[in-house]
Amino acid sequence: MATVTFDQATRIYPGGDRPAVDKLNIDIADGEFLVLVGPSGCGKSTSLRMLAGLEDVNDGAIRIGDRDVTHLPPKDRDIAMVFQNYALYPHMTVADNMGFALKIAGVNKAEIRQRVEEAAKILDLTEYLSRKPKALSGGQRQRVAMGRAIVREPQVFLMDEPLSNLDAKLRVQTRTQIASLQRRLGTTTVYVTHDQVEAMTMGDRVAVLKDGLLQQVDSPRNMYDRPANLFVAGFIGSPAMNLVEVPITDGGVTFGNSVVPVNREALKAASDSGDKTVTVGVRPEHFEIADGEAKSVSKDAPAGVAVTVNVVEELGADGYVYGSAEVAGSQVDIVVRVGGRSVPLKGDVLHVVPRGGETHVFSTSTGERLSD
Amino acid sequence: MRHRRYPFIVGFLIVPVALYAVLVIWPYIQTFGYSLTDWSGESQTMHFIGLKNYTALLSDHVFLTALEHNGLLLVFLPVITILLALFFAFMLNVGGQGRTGGVQGVAGAAFYKVVFFFPQVLSVAILAVLFEAVYRSDAGGLLNGVLVKIGLENSQNPIEWLNDPGTVLWCLLAIMVWQGVGFYLVLFSAAMQSIPKEIFEAALLDGAGRAQTFFKVTMPLLWDSVQTAWVYLAIAAMDFFALVSTLTPGTAYGGGPDYHSEVLSTYLMRNFLYFGKSGYACAMGVVILFLTLIVSVLALRATRRERIEF
Repeated sequence: MATVTFDQATRIYPGGDRPAVDKLNIDIADGEFLVLVGPSGCGKSTSLRMLAGLEDVNDGAIRIGDRDVTHLPPKDRDIAMVFQNYALYPHMTVADNMGFALKIAGVNKAEIRQRVEEAAKILDLTEYLSRKPKALSGGQRQRVAMGRAIVREPQVFLMDEPLSNLDAKLRVQTRTQIASLQRRLGTTTVYVTHDQVEAMTMGDRVAVLKDGLLQQVDSPRNMYDRPANLFVAGFIGSPAMNLVEVPITDGGVTFGNSVVPVNREALKAASDSGDKTVTVGVRPEHFEIADGEAKSVSKDAPAGVAVTVNVVEELGADGYVYGSAEVAGSQVDIVVRVGGRSVPLKGDVLHVVPRGGETHVFSTSTGERLSD
Repeated sequence: MRHRRYPFIVGFLIVPVALYAVLVIWPYIQTFGYSLTDWSGESQTMHFIGLKNYTALLSDHVFLTALEHNGLLLVFLPVITILLALFFAFMLNVGGQGRTGGVQGVAGAAFYKVVFFFPQVLSVAILAVLFEAVYRSDAGGLLNGVLVKIGLENSQNPIEWLNDPGTVLWCLLAIMVWQGVGFYLVLFSAAMQSIPKEIFEAALLDGAGRAQTFFKVTMPLLWDSVQTAWVYLAIAAMDFFALVSTLTPGTAYGGGPDYHSEVLSTYLMRNFLYFGKSGYACAMGVVILFLTLIVSVLALRATRRERIEF
């Protein structure tokens, strides 16, 4: 078991001038499940491969426990990796695939057999041990890849989008299995995914990257409650947070026909940097349908923002309304979650107000979070 | 509609099939026919002598020597060429490790790949001229010159590479290997590049060194290409006519000294054109045809494995 530390780790690909990973700083605790998430090309896989030793580190350092592994070859790092395409050896049986690393390490046959069988039992692979990978389904191959990592009992597991080749249902199932397996084994794990749902459900902590820069590292809860900037706010959560640019008024911001109260210091910070507007973020589930009791600015119109319904997605338990509204003189798209039993029709007009305390305020110019 | 397609297809096929039949199949049949006669090659008169040519072959010690030489080449040419080509292909594509930075070839791999391919573009005639200079039996030859310079050899008594019964066949083998490695290197390189890179990375993470990766991962995954290469090289080993006839001593098509570099094809040609024993040579040709067929089938059979799928 070990901690993992990225210390100003930087990767610049030959011929490129912009770093693929730019001064990455993350401390991963012993036994922690850290998920690296971000859009394609954000440097998450590169970071993982740097930790694996499959990619050079141009600057900074990477440590596993107290060992500086920055320039160690992969085999000396005591890590195991699960690849997106599983990278099973096609000419070996499942048992040989799982025992290959041990065989290379010179472990005796009886022990290899025993450890492979143990891992196979955990992963429900016992009856497939003598098969070749081509005779397995996608889910089984994925489990063999996991098994190959488990058998080695490494200090750190690295997983590079291990679920993206599975179908949607299996992915949800396997997601839970991997997370619970990791909790049981207690092995430090770094997991790369582009799927923010995977990131939120599996990780102890989530690190969001964009363009090689670390945006935020936090627990899924905090990531959801307090996104550090506009990018994280828009990336985490599904459907994405509504981000609307609104003018600053006294004591808050005008949001349609309501005033949303905003922390005074936040507003001061925004106006000090010369902004006339701030960007307010409200998650679809934090809109309330105004029923006339809410306080409105002008008495003759209902409170909140009038949203014209364009599309309704019914998911059974609830529904998502995709609509458009006019806020501060421009058309914006707004997504609102509504109860599954009270879904509006296309063309209806809803008046929505953000629920108190569930708004996020970001600086329009820098994208940084202003409210706390 | 269906029956209309056949004239169309036949229209395309008739010319090539006719050419093939006239220029390939018919000569084979003719050869078999001549092999049952005492045809001398020049005259049109000949007598049917049954299988006498074939029985004579069995007690012809030159023929048996040539057969033995082809047998040796059949073992050593594929083995040496394939192993060298595999080794170089491995080094050029995944062998450059030991540092971080993942799976890559040794430094300058792209350059080497081109250089290794050069010998393949030389024709056999040029090879012969080139290696005549390499193997010259005085200090003016490349090999002897170097050996004399570094003091391993007395310039008064150099090794006569192509005139020495003990070295001549191996010298020829070396030329074929030198020429062939580049081609099979490119063949194996291409096959290696179709293997997902992650498999080599997984091996790297599993702690496999160069040798282990080569024998336990690369070789098994390249087996299909190795098999193909083996068949090509086996066929090449059954030939060797051009090199023997141009480089080795001996009247009419070389094979010397004293039949020590004789191969089936040179002995065949000598019988056919020089000794005027054309019927006998045809019998030899038929034997070579069947031997080559058997060798190809055996090579394919012996190396057959389960197909690899990625």
